[in-house]
Amino acid sequence: MTELRIAAVGDIHLGEDVRGQYRKHLEGIEERADVFMLTGDLTRHGTLEEGRLVAEELRGLPVPTIAVLGNHDYHSDLQYEIAAALRDAGVIVLHDDGVVIQCGEVKLGVVGGKGFGGGYAGKCASEFGEREIKNFVAHTRYIAESWKVALKEMTADLKVVLSHYSPIKETLEGEPHEIYPFLGSYLLAEAVDTAGADLILHGHAHKGSEKGMTPGGIRVRNVALPVLGRAYAVYCLGENGAC
Amino acid sequence: MEAPQYVAARVQAALAEDGRTHELGIRVDIRGDQLFLRGQVSGAEQRERLGLVAHEAAPDLRVHNEIMVVEFTEPGEDEHLD
Ligand SMILES: [Fe+2]
Ligand SMILES: [Fe+2]
Repeated sequence: MTELRIAAVGDIHLGEDVRGQYRKHLEGIEERADVFMLTGDLTRHGTLEEGRLVAEELRGLPVPTIAVLGNHDYHSDLQYEIAAALRDAGVIVLHDDGVVIQCGEVKLGVVGGKGFGGGYAGKCASEFGEREIKNFVAHTRYIAESWKVALKEMTADLKVVLSHYSPIKETLEGEPHEIYPFLGSYLLAEAVDTAGADLILHGHAHKGSEKGMTPGGIRVRNVALPVLGRAYAVYCLGENGAC
Repeated sequence: MEAPQYVAARVQAALAEDGRTHELGIRVDIRGDQLFLRGQVSGAEQRERLGLVAHEAAPDLRVHNEIMVVEFTEPGEDEHLD
């Protein structure tokens, strides 16, 4: 199996005032990467106008493009319409499910969705007490379970998980500790550690840090644009060597 | 007089919830009659909108808009995960 180069970014938060600007940075992406992944918060307010703008920005890229949505993309309750606009532009949008694509010689499996919060082991919400708290935790549990099943049911040479929320604390380093429960949940990491994957990409934590690892040893990268400070990161997976 | 912490919290909520901004990561500090905004946004227009919304939420305070506009660069070096 040859090496696979994954370009990744999240939290591009596009709006009318920056139309066309991000696209310029995608020029020549096919020379740097085999696939492009987006970890959500593609819009600012989750309006359909913004969703369509993002779709135009991503339309017809020369590499397969796979995305999940983020909390901002849900803000106007138009997440399905935004996903539809992106799909119409050729972007694969994951919603707690998976896809297998052939990238050269590599069969690449990608699983993911928005994810959700709740906090991290020992300091997290549990399904107890008020209905509102139970619903909050149950939402994350449902998502984690869906990812676990999707990963288990997938045959691929390499598996990557795309999330908006963070599965681990390490990549939140730089964010105030008080808001950790709103930035992600360990349940996401636990699910992926159980089912197995080669890399987890997330965004959402604009002030966090890029690199971390799950308790099970799966590499995690926070690719939020403000964290990266560059148009996208490129991660090489698989056989080592030049890429 | 309203405690400055509550005013700051109200301004922060306005920045997150106002349809013109929807910006979650902005730090709001109040010292006396001065209000300081800090954080990073992706464009100069968004920075100006944040200043405006903060001013509307706390019209009696003098707003110091110290928000930075982040410029991002071309993709850099690859990372090999093996
Ligand atoms: Fe974001
Ligand atoms: Fe987010």
